[in-house]
Amino acid sequence: MLILALKNLTRRRLRTALTLFGIAISVGVLACLLAFGKGYEAGLGRELNNMGIQMMLVPLGCPYDAAARVLKGKTLDVSLPAESVKTVRREVGVEIAAPMLMATLPRPSEGRTDLWVGVEESIRPLKPWWKMKEGSRWFPDENSVILGAEAANVELRQVGDTFFSPETGRKFTVCGVLERSGTSDDSQFFVPLATAQAMFRQPDRITAVAIRLKDPTLIGDVSKRLQEVRGAQVVTMAEMMGTFLNLIGSVRTLVLAIAIVALCISGLSVFNTMLSAVLERTRELGVLRAVGASRSQVFSLLTVEAVLLTTLGSAIGVILALLFGHFVELIVRFFVQIAPSEAFLILSREVIQDCFMVGIVVGLGAGLYPAWQASRLQPVDAIRAD
Amino acid sequence: MADSILVSAQGLTKVYNRGTEEVRALDGVTFDLQRGEFTAVVGVSGAGKTTLLHLLGCMDTPTSGELLIDGQSTRGLSDSALTRMRREQVGFVFQHFGLLPTLTVMENLTLPTLFSKKEAKAYANELLERVGLTHRRNHLPNQLSGGEMQRVAIARALINRPQVLLADEPTGNLDSANGEAILQLFHQLHRDGLTIIVVTHNPILANATQRQLVLHDGRLVP
Repeated sequence: MLILALKNLTRRRLRTALTLFGIAISVGVLACLLAFGKGYEAGLGRELNNMGIQMMLVPLGCPYDAAARVLKGKTLDVSLPAESVKTVRREVGVEIAAPMLMATLPRPSEGRTDLWVGVEESIRPLKPWWKMKEGSRWFPDENSVILGAEAANVELRQVGDTFFSPETGRKFTVCGVLERSGTSDDSQFFVPLATAQAMFRQPDRITAVAIRLKDPTLIGDVSKRLQEVRGAQVVTMAEMMGTFLNLIGSVRTLVLAIAIVALCISGLSVFNTMLSAVLERTRELGVLRAVGASRSQVFSLLTVEAVLLTTLGSAIGVILALLFGHFVELIVRFFVQIAPSEAFLILSREVIQDCFMVGIVVGLGAGLYPAWQASRLQPVDAIRAD
Repeated sequence: MADSILVSAQGLTKVYNRGTEEVRALDGVTFDLQRGEFTAVVGVSGAGKTTLLHLLGCMDTPTSGELLIDGQSTRGLSDSALTRMRREQVGFVFQHFGLLPTLTVMENLTLPTLFSKKEAKAYANELLERVGLTHRRNHLPNQLSGGEMQRVAIARALINRPQVLLADEPTGNLDSANGEAILQLFHQLHRDGLTIIVVTHNPILANATQRQLVLHDGRLVP
């Protein structure tokens, strides 16, 4: 029966191929969507946990946007008074308060813009992925710079080298180079906080304060008290993750709706293919009935054809998702402000099973009516239909 | 010798409705066919020959009258019971062969066994040899001549070892040489004891049978 169904599908190759293509695209989108949802949530949670930051003090405005920009190494148009870090440190529940000043330095002669970050040593426990190359050390003086792996590559500098920055009129000594981490730190220039404030003429200003608490259960109380800092607001990582997951969730719902519409269209396409097959093969179906096929056998044959079509389409869709999933990931990274640095579009066995299940259900749904129509044909009417 | 009667038609009538018009395709046809008999159903176009063959092949049911095949009445049988009759008692040969274009000769031949779930590979090989198409077993129908296609169709009709072989214009689409080959095949099957009923316009085939049923306007001409 399976071979007969398969041979019937190969009869109109272009029509079958187009139907398969439609199913494959819908299932591929669905597979990416399901894989993305699970992978993104797990990856983002893991990454935020690894940072060891429970909250962040940022200037007034949209706190989530500000926190996301700071985490992903982008500058803000507004800043905080440097005094605010002292207020944070006075709070009893705070273990580490690490101020940062982030600023861009256009390099027209090189055709690029560098991101400089002023930091204090307090930042180090909050960047557990930082690994210094051999010979590196923390800033010995105010004109020292630590280069991210990519920044060192672009500048062609290593530990001990000196270079002049004409835009700021300063001469720097490279005191450290970071190992590649796959984060935005790779392309940044780290200098002492005071140096950054002087370089960018922002004395007593900072961009944000990253905070780690002594006890994560104090987060609610500490957050409430820190909201009192003038001109600043607190955003917890849990809130931030929740907000981003909500945002991503909304996008997912939209894409899921599109995928469902695409699946419905694919289902209609299968329905059309099967119904056309019944009309075209009326005489043959009559022959099958004449040589002893029962109604249920004719019904099964057509249903098997529909399910075979959608299962094959689902398989192609899953293969497409496996092959091109990383492009989808790149697009997501481009549009989404905060995304895990590791791969987050992972097609698990569970996702693949779900996709096949959806494909089979669509096939069954679309194939039942044409199969029922075919099974109702009287052999003599079918034979006369020629 | 009631046991020797394989097919018994008693007042078979078939009426079709074409819009408001009533067409009486068969009108009170009565006859008995002996087991092993080779019979031709002849008559002009529209006389009711094919309608009679469809009733004998359990592909349709009479409007009135009774048909018994091997003592079993087809009256009031459910669709599944009629299907079982078609599968077990009757082999049908179509004028246009009725081969499935995507299946090979061997697959077409064994198609009925797919539905009867009988293992018949050895018998299929035997039939293929008998119709002289062993070398064509893996060919598709479009690679065969008309005569070869008809021989495959006859072999397929025999695969479930039916009681009666029904053939609708089996030489209608063939040249005289192929028509002659099919006639020889029918003779051979008849000699082996098979009951054969052919609907034909071909006088050579009709004259080669033991008995002719002549239909005119749906009635049997005495």
